[in-house]
Amino acid sequence: MVKVIAVLSIIAGGCWLFGLGLTVYDQFFQPTASLSTHYRAEETTDEDHRLQIVAIGDSLTRGTGDETGKGYVGYVLDELRTKTKQPIQLTNLAIKGQVSEQLLQQLQQNEVQRQLKQADFVFMTIGGNDLFQGGETLQNLSAEYINRIKSVYLRHLDAIFRTIRSVNPHAVVFYIGLYNPFNQLDHAETTSAIVRQWNYDSAEVAARYPHIIAVPTYDLFELHVNDYLYSDQFHPNKEGYKLIGERLSSLITFTKEGKK
Amino acid sequence: MTQTLVVEDLRKKIGRKTIIKGLSFSLKKGEVFGFLGPNGAGKTTTIRMLVGLIKPSAGRITICGYDLQRQFTKAIRHIGCIVENPELYPYLTGWENLEHFARMLPDISKERITEVVKLVGLQNRIHDRVRTYSLGMRQRLGIAQALLGKPSVLILDEPTNGLDPIGIREMREFIRFLAEKEGLSVLVSSHLLSEIQLMCDRVAILSKGSIIRIDTVDRLLKEQARVVWKVEPLEQAKKQLESETVILSAQADTLITYYEKEKLAAWNERLVQAGVKVSQMEPKLPTLEDLFIELTGGETID
Amino acid sequence: MTDLVYNEMLKIIRKKRLFIIAAITAVLVALFTYAQFKHVQDVQKRLGTADWRTQLQQQIIDTQNRLNSSGIDEEWRKFLQIRLQQQQYYLDHNINPSAPGAPTFMRTFVENAIDLFLPLMVMVVVADLVSSEASGGTIKLLLTRPIKRWKILLSKYIAMLLSISFIVLSLVCLSWLISGAVFGYGGWNLPLLTGFTIQGEELNTANVHLISQWKYLLMELGLAWFVAVVVGTLTFMLSVLIRSTAAVMGVMLAALISGAILANMVSSWESAKYFFMVNLRLTDYISGTAPPINGMTLGFSMSVLAVWGIAALLVAFFVFVKRDVY
Repeated sequence: MVKVIAVLSIIAGGCWLFGLGLTVYDQFFQPTASLSTHYRAEETTDEDHRLQIVAIGDSLTRGTGDETGKGYVGYVLDELRTKTKQPIQLTNLAIKGQVSEQLLQQLQQNEVQRQLKQADFVFMTIGGNDLFQGGETLQNLSAEYINRIKSVYLRHLDAIFRTIRSVNPHAVVFYIGLYNPFNQLDHAETTSAIVRQWNYDSAEVAARYPHIIAVPTYDLFELHVNDYLYSDQFHPNKEGYKLIGERLSSLITFTKEGKK
Repeated sequence: MTQTLVVEDLRKKIGRKTIIKGLSFSLKKGEVFGFLGPNGAGKTTTIRMLVGLIKPSAGRITICGYDLQRQFTKAIRHIGCIVENPELYPYLTGWENLEHFARMLPDISKERITEVVKLVGLQNRIHDRVRTYSLGMRQRLGIAQALLGKPSVLILDEPTNGLDPIGIREMREFIRFLAEKEGLSVLVSSHLLSEIQLMCDRVAILSKGSIIRIDTVDRLLKEQARVVWKVEPLEQAKKQLESETVILSAQADTLITYYEKEKLAAWNERLVQAGVKVSQMEPKLPTLEDLFIELTGGETID
Repeated sequence: MTDLVYNEMLKIIRKKRLFIIAAITAVLVALFTYAQFKHVQDVQKRLGTADWRTQLQQQIIDTQNRLNSSGIDEEWRKFLQIRLQQQQYYLDHNINPSAPGAPTFMRTFVENAIDLFLPLMVMVVVADLVSSEASGGTIKLLLTRPIKRWKILLSKYIAMLLSISFIVLSLVCLSWLISGAVFGYGGWNLPLLTGFTIQGEELNTANVHLISQWKYLLMELGLAWFVAVVVGTLTFMLSVLIRSTAAVMGVMLAALISGAILANMVSSWESAKYFFMVNLRLTDYISGTAPPINGMTLGFSMSVLAVWGIAALLVAFFVFVKRDVY
């Protein structure tokens, strides 16, 4: 008994000592090896039977402000599950505070592209942060300033749509427009005009590509905006997200073969 | 070699305090040597120095010709010991304990283990865990362990501590047996005089870190024998005896003198001739207790 | 010497310590296996897919969202940023760092056991290695044998090394057997990345290279063993210095736990990096997690631990050989 354990221990001790030596060699003396031998893995087969939804964009898609954490994406999903028995897979890639330029960068990532490629539907909100600029815009509502940031934004938006289409020509993209959270504050007329124009120009860009649908939300929040806003007076609350979710899910219908 | 253990001017200082103040003694082959002293006299410290647990500040310990400091392994090879209680591994059996210690000695065969087990009479329980042993059995296992390496010197610190009267007697007989039949030198420490008196050939009396006396038990006792006289008149008797011997005390009608067997009759005759009435003449053999009290000047032993 | 080591191993084994440790490990591994299993299920349910790339991508997005939250602690932000870069690196190179399987579980388990669980188990064996002899009085018998004191202590130290090796071995065997029943026993050749270095908030990937999981695991176990030996040596020293096993345990526990706490707090107290207890998470260096204090590297931590270990060993031997035993 004692001998067996002692011998086992000696062997084990040798192993661990070897491991330690290996670590020292590997971490300190290994010639700088470049990672050229990529394990370029097999492309995973499309999980065809699933309904793949990819959500991209900013805090609206993330669901900021909804205490249940679902966001409009969650409500759409709930709705879809009642309409179809097909398993649904959601990948929510939205990042809080993201602007169009960052989204464009994100779309260049391998994995994001792989996800997009498999997608049947793409949900997307972008532009809110481009326009709002962390509050800066409220200080400067001049047409000249707005036009400048808008032209930058529209250029990015076009690139985003182009990227999505090149990666996945078939998926239906729902581009969700902006609402005006400030339409009960000072300068409501000015801000509303800006948001309307912004949405119109964005929809124009979307129209250049097939199957990219601009979904308006402006009207949803036009009356009683404060009932639908979260305490930050910027993001929607649960009820606000429900409104967006309802609108979006009404656009998705299923035919016999399972797809829209 | 007749002298197995030689101690010369052994000293131990702890901090500024000198605990052991220059002990010198030696053990002969086949004798039981007693180490007697009250608690705190330095018995245990001395014994721990003898077995190498404590380093002496000065002095020399030689065991069978080897210096304990310089040739530790060779010297300690000839010593078997139990220091204080026989503490063994309770979670091992008696046999495993002995094997454990046998592995720490050169060339101890299984037969030798069996032999010592028989010697201390533990055959029946040797494969039980030590946890289940009585104190007496542990003491015996401790001795078995000490005897494993066939030592020349056996050092036992308070060997009868905690034993019942029968156990004490057995232990005593066993120690005598080891000395007489096996030819070991045995050093026994004790604070019990009666014990030392019964089993030792020689005794060293220790007090406050020094040896006050070393002698054979017989001689120590004889030297201390007294005669108690009941005489009348006292003054007359005192005068007569003073010319013969030393009067140790004189109170009321009682005189105490040394005991000298051959002269006792002559002393008595002289008293009678001088007209002293001797109503009682009682030789009194003292115990080591009296001796001890006398030597240490009244320091009690317990 | 062999006989002496045999004696010490006999005592350790007869005290049943090694089996207690194996039992504790088995229970914990079963617990963690179940927790991990639940977690995997939960993630799959939430994301509706078992595809690791989707899961990893989701983790990255979650991390990014957390980074964009306001009021996030600077330390935490740094940690997240480095983890994010690493996750992205794995994803870009199409390598799944957490492919299910017993070896992956073992890897995670070792990484999490290295700074507290493993040292604790080592303590259970080592704490009373010398102190129990002192408190039980058997030290007097050990030291009155014709064997030099340093040899006796050395035999105990070797027995300690053997026990530690055995503890690590039982950890490996048990976690493989138990977790394999749930996650499968394969996955030894899964490629993993190592060689990340952290410079400030940036993850330096210049030295990053791929190694098989078995090799990676062996490296981690080597490090875990090293940590266990250092902690064991420190406990060993205390065991020589202190008669009471409980006190030895107390001191070591305090040190280990303070290490865990310090690691979360000391980023601004630079010289705290010379404490042994903040350097225990050696496996973090090969997986590329940010160290608690800027400037700590694998070489640094190993050196600190080695210095502590050697110092403790010297103290232990010096005291043991010189000391008067009362």
